[in-house]
Amino acid sequence: MLLFFITIPLCAAFLISLFNRKIKNLSDFIANLATFILFLFSLSSIKLISLYKIIVYRLGGWMPPMGICLVGDGLASFMLVTVNLISFLVMIYSISYMDRYTDKWKFHALFMLMLAGMNGVILSGDLFSLYLFLEMASISAYVLVAFGTEPEDLEASFKYAIMGSIASIFILLGIGLLYSYTSTLNMADISSGLLNKPKGLLVGFVAVLFLAGFGLKSALVPFHTWLPDAHSSAPSPVSAILSGIFIKTLGIYALARIFFNILGISDKILFLFMVLGVLSMVVGALLAMAQNDIKRMLAYSSISQIGYIVFALGIGTPLALLGGLLHLFNHAVFKSLLFLNAGAIEYSTGSRKLSDLGGLNSKLPITGGTSFIGSMSIAGIPPLGGFWSKLIIIIAAVQTGHIGFAFVAVLVSIITLVYYLKFQSFVFFGKLNQAYIKVREVPLVMKLAMVFLAGISIFSGLLLTPPFKDFLQSATGILLSGTAYGQAIFGAIK
Amino acid sequence: MPNLFSYPFFKLDQLNSFIILAIGLFTILTLIYSSRFMKGKPQLIQYYTYIILTAIAAVAAVLANNLILLLVFWGFLGLTLYLLINMGDEKSFLAAKKTLIIVGGSDALMIFGIGIVYYFTNSFQMDRIRLELNNGLLIFAYICIAIACFAKAGAMPFHSWVPDSAVSAPIPVVAYLPASLDKLLGIYLLARISLNLFVMNKAMNSLLMLIGGLTIIAAVMMALVQHNLKRLLGYHAVSQVGYMILGIGTGNPVGIAGGLFHMLNNSVYKSCLFFGAGNVEYRINTTELDELGGLGKLMPITYASFLIASIAISGVPPFNGFASKWLIYQGIILNLQDTKSVVQSILSVFCLVAAMFGSALTLASFAKLLHAVFLGQRLNTIKAKGIKEVSWAMWSPCIILAAICVIFGVFVFAIPLKYFIFPAVSNYQILSRQSLPGSWSPLLAASFIILALVLGFIIFKLGRLKLNLRQDSTFSGGEITQPQAENMVTGIDFYNTIKEMAFLRPVYKMAQQGIFDIYEQGKKFFSISKVFQYLHNGVLPTYLIWMLLGMTCLFFMLVR
Repeated sequence: MLLFFITIPLCAAFLISLFNRKIKNLSDFIANLATFILFLFSLSSIKLISLYKIIVYRLGGWMPPMGICLVGDGLASFMLVTVNLISFLVMIYSISYMDRYTDKWKFHALFMLMLAGMNGVILSGDLFSLYLFLEMASISAYVLVAFGTEPEDLEASFKYAIMGSIASIFILLGIGLLYSYTSTLNMADISSGLLNKPKGLLVGFVAVLFLAGFGLKSALVPFHTWLPDAHSSAPSPVSAILSGIFIKTLGIYALARIFFNILGISDKILFLFMVLGVLSMVVGALLAMAQNDIKRMLAYSSISQIGYIVFALGIGTPLALLGGLLHLFNHAVFKSLLFLNAGAIEYSTGSRKLSDLGGLNSKLPITGGTSFIGSMSIAGIPPLGGFWSKLIIIIAAVQTGHIGFAFVAVLVSIITLVYYLKFQSFVFFGKLNQAYIKVREVPLVMKLAMVFLAGISIFSGLLLTPPFKDFLQSATGILLSGTAYGQAIFGAIK
Repeated sequence: MPNLFSYPFFKLDQLNSFIILAIGLFTILTLIYSSRFMKGKPQLIQYYTYIILTAIAAVAAVLANNLILLLVFWGFLGLTLYLLINMGDEKSFLAAKKTLIIVGGSDALMIFGIGIVYYFTNSFQMDRIRLELNNGLLIFAYICIAIACFAKAGAMPFHSWVPDSAVSAPIPVVAYLPASLDKLLGIYLLARISLNLFVMNKAMNSLLMLIGGLTIIAAVMMALVQHNLKRLLGYHAVSQVGYMILGIGTGNPVGIAGGLFHMLNNSVYKSCLFFGAGNVEYRINTTELDELGGLGKLMPITYASFLIASIAISGVPPFNGFASKWLIYQGIILNLQDTKSVVQSILSVFCLVAAMFGSALTLASFAKLLHAVFLGQRLNTIKAKGIKEVSWAMWSPCIILAAICVIFGVFVFAIPLKYFIFPAVSNYQILSRQSLPGSWSPLLAASFIILALVLGFIIFKLGRLKLNLRQDSTFSGGEITQPQAENMVTGIDFYNTIKEMAFLRPVYKMAQQGIFDIYEQGKKFFSISKVFQYLHNGVLPTYLIWMLLGMTCLFFMLVR
C-alpha cells in the first residue's frame, strides 16, 4: 500500500502528458481523482499504523540493508495526511484558477511529479532515495515557480534553482560522507551503525551540511532568501503547496527525521534548532510587517511560522514536539488557505497590492470571511487552531526554562497579529476602491476549497482531544524514540 | 502532556456571581436597545450573533476556574469585539484594528504569564494557585496578566482604543462592551489575580495605585477638552477605570470593596450615558457638541436619565458613584495609616488627591456636556427637524439604569453592598457597615436632599419667581446679525483656558500627536524592518553570502 503514494501520482503525471492533447479537461479529472484517492489512502494509513506501528515495504522483495525499502510510521502517516489533504483541496481550487494559464495540463503533470516527490521523501527508508525524491520534487517546483513566465517569475525561479541546487549538493555530500563512514545508505542501518561507532568530527560536519541543506529547503534564516521571491511569483495554488506543505516535507520533516532518528539528537543541536527557529521567527515577522504585496507578506510570514515549528522541535520535550507538529499541521492548513485567498483576490481584482485594495468584504464575502478565519488562526486568536499550537509551544518553552525565547515567541505572535490585521483592514475593510466596483466573487470550486480549509483551521484544535490525540502522539512518539528507530525498523521486518 | 481536563472547569463563587448577574442585565438591556437602534442596518443577523456569543463567552470567562479556559474565552471576546466595532461607520475598521492589536497583543502576554504560573505550580486550576510575588519571574508573570486586564478594561497606557472605538463603533456596542462588559471582565480578573492567585506585596500595590491615579487624572484632563460627545464619554470610560484599579491597589478590604463596587456602578451609569448619547445620535445624526443644544425639553426622558447618570459618575451623593468613591477614599486613607515609609505615604496622598480632583473635574466636564447637549440654545437645524423623544425600546434601558443608579445610591448598605460586594471580599475580611471607618447614612442624606429640592420648588412657586428674560434680535452697528450663528454659547470652549495654561499646553499637544498612545509609539518600532529590507536586495550573490555566513557559524558551533 505504501507504494501507491508514489506510483499513483507518477502514473497520473504520465497519463496526463500522454492523453491530454486528445481529450480536453481530462487532466483536471485525472489530477483530481489522483489526489482524492491519495487523500483516502493517507487516511487509511492512520488506521494501519495504529495497528502495526511500523510498516516496511520491500521493493522487489530485497531485504532492507541491501534493497530499497519504504517505511511508514506514525510521523510518516501524519505527514502523509497533511500533504495529501492540502494537495487534494488545492487541486480542487486550481480547476478554475488555472484556467487563466495556457497549457494547464503541464501544470497538472508537474504538480503530480511534485506530489510523488513529496510522498517519496516522507516514505523513503534510505537516504539516497530520499535524495532522489527530494530532487524530483524540487525540480518540478523550480519549473512551477516559473509557470507564469513573467520576467519576475523567471528571475525568482532562477534564484530558487541555483540556491536549491546548492542545498541539494550539500545534502548529497553529507549523504556521501555518511556512506563512507557507515558503509550503508539505509536509514535504520545508519542509525544503528552510528550507535556503535565513535561520533567524531565527521558526524558534526555532516550535521552542518544537512542543517544548511535542509535548512535552505525549509527556509530557515539565514538560508531563507529564495523563499519570498519564489513563493510570491508562483501561481497561487503552487504558492499554497510550496508554503503549506513543500517546505515542511522537504525541510522540517527531513530535518526531524535525520536529526532525531538517524544522527541522534544532542543538546547542542537542540540549541541550534532553537536559535535558528527564533531567528527565523523574528526576521520573518519583521519583514512581513513591511511588505505591500499580499503574497510576499504571506511568504515572509511562512518563514516566521516555520521558525515556531523548528523552535518547538528544538525544545525537544514531548509537549513541545506535540505543539510543533500541531503547528506544522495548522500552518499547512491556514497558510495554504491564505495563499488561496490571495489567489482569489488576484483572480477577481487583478491586483495584490495592499495599498490598491480595500472594502472587498462586500464584494468577496466568502474570500473575506475565510481569510479572516485564516488570519486570526495564524495570529493565535482563540478558539481557532493556531491558538492551541502556539499556546502549547509557549508553555513548553517556559516549562523547560527557556523564558527569554518564550518571551520572544510571544512578541512575535503580537507582531503576527499586527500584520494580519493590517492585511485584513487594507484589503477587506474600509472604502472600496472605485476600480473594483464591478468585482465578482470567485467560482464555486475555489470557494469550496477555501471554505473547507477555513473549516479545518477552526476545528484543528480538536486534534488535541481524545479521538484524534493518538494520531498526533504516535507521530511525536517516533521523534521521541530517537535512535532506537533503527532497531524498531529491523524489528518490524522480521 | 498534562491532562487539561481532569478537574472542574468552572466555579461559581462570591466574587464572580454578581458579575454574571450584571452581564445578564447588560446583555438584555443592549438587546432591547439594539432592537430599535440597529433597525434597518445591514448584517443584523451577524450583529445579534456576535452579541449573544459575547455574552456567552463573557459568562464563561468569568466562571472559568481553569486558566486555559479563561484564556480561550477571554481571547474570543477580543475577536467578537473586533467584529462588532467593525460594524460601525466607515472609519470603524481603523478603530477595530487598533482595538484588536492592543487587546489581542495583551492576550499574548497573558499566555506568557500563564505559562510562568504553570511553571511554578504545575497546575492550571485557579483555586489551587496561590503564589508569593517573591521572585522576578513571578512579578513579571503578574505584570503580564495585569496588562491583559488593563488593556481589556482600558487603563493607561493601554487605553487608546477606548476613545477611538467609542466614536466609530455602533453605540449599543460601545455601551455593551468597552463601557460595561470589558470593565467588568478586566477588573474581575485583576481582582482575581490580586486576591486569589497571587499574594500581593506593597510594591506591587503601589504600582497599581500609581497606574490608577495617573489614569484618573490624565484621562479626565483629556475628556475636558473634547468636542465630541462620544469621544468625551470614551475618555471618561478610561478615567473611571483608574478608580477601580486604585481601589484594588490599596490592598485593604475596604478599598477592594470600593474598587469592585465602583466597577459595578461604573458599568451601570456608563452604559446609561452611552445609551443616552445613542438616543441623541439617533435623532440628530451627529454627536459633535457644537451642533447640539437645547435638547432637554425635546427629549425629556433621555435628559432625565442622562442627568442622573452624569451626577452619579461625578460622585455626588446620594447616587451610587458617590458610595463607591467614598469607599475607595477610605481605602486609601487606611492605606495611608498603615504605611510607614515616606515614599508610600506621598504616593497615597497623591492618589487621594488625584481621585478627589478627578472627581471634581468629572463634574466639570459633565457640566459642559449637559449644557452643550441638553441645555443651551437650540440650533436652527435642530428646530427645523421637529425632534421627538425616542421610542420606548430606547429610553427604557436608560431609565432602568438610571433607576439602578438611584437605588444603589440610596439603599447602598441594604442592597448592593450587602448582597454583592461584601460577600465578594468576605474571605479576606468580613465587612459590615459598622466596621467601615467612616460611615454615612445614605437614606438620611437622600431624604435631606429631597426635602431641600421640595422646599426649593415650593419657594420657587410661592415666590412667583420668574426668569426675567427678554429676547430680541441682536444688531451691531445698525446691522442685524444672525443671533443663532454668532452669539450662541455651545459650551465646548468652556475649558479652553485649561488647554492654554502654560505648563499644560505642551502636554496636550503631545497627547494630540499620540505621544502617549502605545499604539502610535509601537508603529515606530517597525522601522527596524527597513534594516532587514535593505539586506534583502534581491541580488543572488548577496543571498549566497548570507548562506555561507550561516554555514560558517554552524561549522563553528558543531565542528570544533
